[in-house]
Amino acid sequence: MSGETLSAPPGKWTGLLPLWRQTPLSFRIGLIVLLIHVAVAVTGPFWVPYGFSQMGTGRPLSGMSWAHPFGVDQLGRDIFSRVVYGGHLVILLSISGTLLGLVVGAVLGLLSGYVGGWFDEILQRVLEALISIPFLVLALLAIAAAGPELSGNPVLIVLVVALVYAPRIARMARSVAVEIATRDHVTVARLRGESAWSVMRRELLPNSTSVLLVEFALRAGYAPVLIGSLGFLGFGLRPPTPEWGLMISENRALIIITPITVLGPGLALASLVVGLNLFTEGLARILGRTVKLGVQ
Amino acid sequence: MTIFKLVIRRSFMSAVTLLLVSLIIFSMLEVLPGDVASRILGRDATAESLELLRVELGLNEPAPVRYLAWLGGLVTGELGQSLASSRPVSEILAPRIFNTLLLSAYAFLIYLPLTFIPALLQAINRDRATDHAFSVVTLVLLSVPDFLLATILLLGFVVMLPLLPAISLVDHSSSAWEYFRAMTLPALTLAIVMAVYAVRMLRDNLIEVLDSDYIRMAELKGLSRARVLLRHALPNALVPTLNVTALNLAYLIGGVVVVEKVFSYPGFGSLLVDSLQLRDLPVVEATVMIAAFVYVVANLIADVAAILLNPRLRTG
Repeated sequence: MSGETLSAPPGKWTGLLPLWRQTPLSFRIGLIVLLIHVAVAVTGPFWVPYGFSQMGTGRPLSGMSWAHPFGVDQLGRDIFSRVVYGGHLVILLSISGTLLGLVVGAVLGLLSGYVGGWFDEILQRVLEALISIPFLVLALLAIAAAGPELSGNPVLIVLVVALVYAPRIARMARSVAVEIATRDHVTVARLRGESAWSVMRRELLPNSTSVLLVEFALRAGYAPVLIGSLGFLGFGLRPPTPEWGLMISENRALIIITPITVLGPGLALASLVVGLNLFTEGLARILGRTVKLGVQ
Repeated sequence: MTIFKLVIRRSFMSAVTLLLVSLIIFSMLEVLPGDVASRILGRDATAESLELLRVELGLNEPAPVRYLAWLGGLVTGELGQSLASSRPVSEILAPRIFNTLLLSAYAFLIYLPLTFIPALLQAINRDRATDHAFSVVTLVLLSVPDFLLATILLLGFVVMLPLLPAISLVDHSSSAWEYFRAMTLPALTLAIVMAVYAVRMLRDNLIEVLDSDYIRMAELKGLSRARVLLRHALPNALVPTLNVTALNLAYLIGGVVVVEKVFSYPGFGSLLVDSLQLRDLPVVEATVMIAAFVYVVANLIADVAAILLNPRLRTG
């Protein structure tokens, strides 16, 4: 023991604090809201007082109380526990659906923007046609096409979110690819004899990450609403799954007696989307891009 | 002459898009998994009843033949028979489309003041408390899904202040007053959702215009504030906002699906949801086709207007 205290070497965390202070306020608030949502979604199932389909947790329709902050539905299920359980579901479905849409959309868009020609022309028309069907209508159509055996399946919801987003992301990626494809380093790569796939992976993709990142955040921000709308209309997940849109639809009949059973899941859904929107706006500003929130 | 060519080319592309939409709709609903008959009759249908329905619907014909027959029907306005009620699809659609048009017009009337007043207030009080307050409100409203907003409005105007009906059921026998009352909440919901995007856009545009030299000039020559704002700034800020209005129309086509369903308003959107639930394919196909048609035509008009208004595109 030398008795001499050594000051700790500057860790990698101390460098992050000034960086954090430089980020826009919307980014910071958004990130904090998202972290709270993720923390609740991950740890929630371990500490919620009741199971998501556990009945008889309290007097049905007894309203707001300390034991049941979001009230109790007509089956005696605790709405707060259901909302907390629903968190990881909504977040996982939104992220995986958007991610799948991003991968498919980015690959199609970048390739068609670079390759051009008839492949590009045909793909453009197909994407245009898919975008012409209002996104909720397209989603409902896809669920109807999948048939009754698959309806209510979470995988179907992920596929539907991807189907709705991929054409829109592809159109964005294509316009970026058209611009990047005129740069010298792409010409050099092509003259080196690289294949279109390799040019896309090594030249186009690294140069379009910021656009794709903002696009991903923007779409992910709307995915919970899309999933909620499907649940609300009865085409999403099946009861008793505690998906928030579905819960709002189920408890709408109780709105006169205990409005909190609707407002609770609504608060969860809206705060998640507010967090995602703020995060997206801040992220866009950090990456030097403008983003139009809410425009589908 | 070149403008004419450009417009023709653009219209041709729209027609191609619509043709592809029809192909997508048809293949999604009729070709992909299983067959239509078993989807209509459900899982526990007998083999005989399935066969009977297939013959009745002409499902034993090959898919391309059925597609062409359906497409021919679409072009000539022969939309076929509804499976659920065995009435002609066009007869079911007509009153629903009328109701939705009426609702959209009403929503649009509410949308205009809801857009202009907050945006003007924000631009005048830039970076002050009013501006920030409205920014927070629009951001929150932007994040509230339409079905939740509709439910909250229902709570406010039906449960707490019992002014309006909870269920917006109307038919041809309803009086104008009943229509008005029934449509108010759905129209308000649609108007708020549309206005939120437009307010944010118009505020930014107004502020950009207010910073320009000619506004400074107008102020310096002693024009009143109201005159500077309404006669000089607003018209110039409006042009980019027209784009948002076109986008809002696209929202409206999808938005009516949810909002009409929430209030049980008998329009085009609730017809789509109901016929999807009943697996009434001819009605579904016709409604989706019409939704896409409205979207494509609205975009075509917006693009043609842009071509005609933009002198640089004329040489293209």
